[in-house]
Amino acid sequence: MNAPSSPTDAGLHAALVAAVHAFASRSLHDLENDARGSLTAETLEELRQLGLFGLTLPTEYGGLGADLFLASRVVRTLAEFDRSVATTLGLHLGLGTRALVRYGSPQTQTEFLPRIASGDCIAAFATTEPQSGSDLSRLTTRLERDMHGALRLCGEKAYITNGSLAGLLTVTARTSGFEGVDKGLVMAVVPTGTRGVTRGPEEHKLGLRASSTTGFHFDDVDIQPHWLLNATTPGHEQLEHTLSWGRTMLSAGCIGTATAALKKARQHTALRVQFGRTLDQQPVVRGQLARCLGALHAMESMVAVTAQQPTDESLHRWSVSTKVFCSEQASHIVDTSVQLLGAGGYLERTGLPLLLRDLRVTRIFEGANDVLLTLAGTLEFKTPRAPMAVAPAAERVIELVRQHVTHLRKTLGVRVFLRPELLHRLGRCVVWRDAVIAMQQHGPSCAVQRIVIHEALSALRVALRDSLHPDDLAAILEDPT
Amino acid sequence: MTPVSPTELQPRMMKMIAELSIIKADLIRPEHRLREDLGMDSVSSLELISMLAEEFGLNITVEEASQVVTVDGALELARRHLTGPA
Repeated sequence: MNAPSSPTDAGLHAALVAAVHAFASRSLHDLENDARGSLTAETLEELRQLGLFGLTLPTEYGGLGADLFLASRVVRTLAEFDRSVATTLGLHLGLGTRALVRYGSPQTQTEFLPRIASGDCIAAFATTEPQSGSDLSRLTTRLERDMHGALRLCGEKAYITNGSLAGLLTVTARTSGFEGVDKGLVMAVVPTGTRGVTRGPEEHKLGLRASSTTGFHFDDVDIQPHWLLNATTPGHEQLEHTLSWGRTMLSAGCIGTATAALKKARQHTALRVQFGRTLDQQPVVRGQLARCLGALHAMESMVAVTAQQPTDESLHRWSVSTKVFCSEQASHIVDTSVQLLGAGGYLERTGLPLLLRDLRVTRIFEGANDVLLTLAGTLEFKTPRAPMAVAPAAERVIELVRQHVTHLRKTLGVRVFLRPELLHRLGRCVVWRDAVIAMQQHGPSCAVQRIVIHEALSALRVALRDSLHPDDLAAILEDPT
Repeated sequence: MTPVSPTELQPRMMKMIAELSIIKADLIRPEHRLREDLGMDSVSSLELISMLAEEFGLNITVEEASQVVTVDGALELARRHLTGPA
């Protein structure tokens, strides 16, 4: 079940999304789940009955064979009703199982995928460590061959989403290499019931409280050789591909959260009368709503374009921009919605505070946004995006980014890599440029596109303004007064 | 910019790599790959080339920097720019 290429496919997609929407609107109660701090057994069972735990798994193992495009639509739909449910499923389908589906051997897939597809075994992704978040060069969990030839896993992982539910972990570790396996990063699947695997206590979080988060310890865990994922693909490439899926589905979830918030804001502003008019008839509020609608449209375009990228490299690059854009714009939309509801937006019973809390972590998850902005700038500096035909207004955005890269190459060349703040700023420009391109590629020109292009030009002007010199920053930060 | 001879280059570069990676300078070997063996990522390996260019006044292009895979590759690139065209 891939991106619809025929009316039949489109009909199947629509039917699945409608079934998910019906389930979510009937059965998901986000405020109750948040207060309880977990999902109910009934919710997990309904997800199983719908076949959603096997959504992106191959049909020969009992999955539905859906691609990233359809999976994103499902995650987005769930997120409109409960971000914790969307996170649980999205994590399982993306970071939790993607590497196994893509790089697992037939033996490994036969061993695990049927139980994963049925939802009897939920997956999690164990990469982050107490001392290693976005900086993967600091990973210390090790997978090595011992003196008897057995593979042993030792280390500690932190902040593992789906931790208490997980029956299988996709683990990233460092190895010094052994026969058939190169030195560097490796990925392996590890059943949580394996001797030496210990689950930590449930974490108490700002948001996503119904989604489980724990740590894991690996104490000399005996790893079966076939649990190691395809050693012919370097571990960092496997990780990059897996994270690309994760970032895209996280972004889809942001669309769901933003949609839910904006729905509440539009309902309220259509009814609330202040100063003789409904709020949505007042120019300031209309401008805020229009900007939110523009951002939401750009988010939808970015996820749709990202989810249909044909190569790992282009998917990686798009997923970086899309994750930053969607997490930031969703934060803006939810914050604006809280504001538009006035004092009511501050009350838990309206549901908006929960959306705000649930959303906050998306700017940290799967690569902190500031790290990803520097990465986006680095990728653009190394390989500027090829020219493409776009509407004249959008061309101005593309041209500004192109001129900025040319300027940096001419003035600093490779020395720009000693100025991460410049790459970060370039990354900001790239994210807005990609949002504009996605809107051009995804649909016909419309009024909201003009809003986003205007926003992009404003953001680019701010980003390209001279910033403080590092010496001035040092003087400010070291000034004891 | 600090003047340097090709023979002084290696130990000074090893110090730079040690700053950017998780490996001590005396454990770094010329055949080590920046990414797999030294744990550097795509950004920090470019940062190394950038540090070389800055410290030794080399005009290395972005394309040259992007092609460096090993410690030896970085050394060769720097030597080539230090000695100039044959």
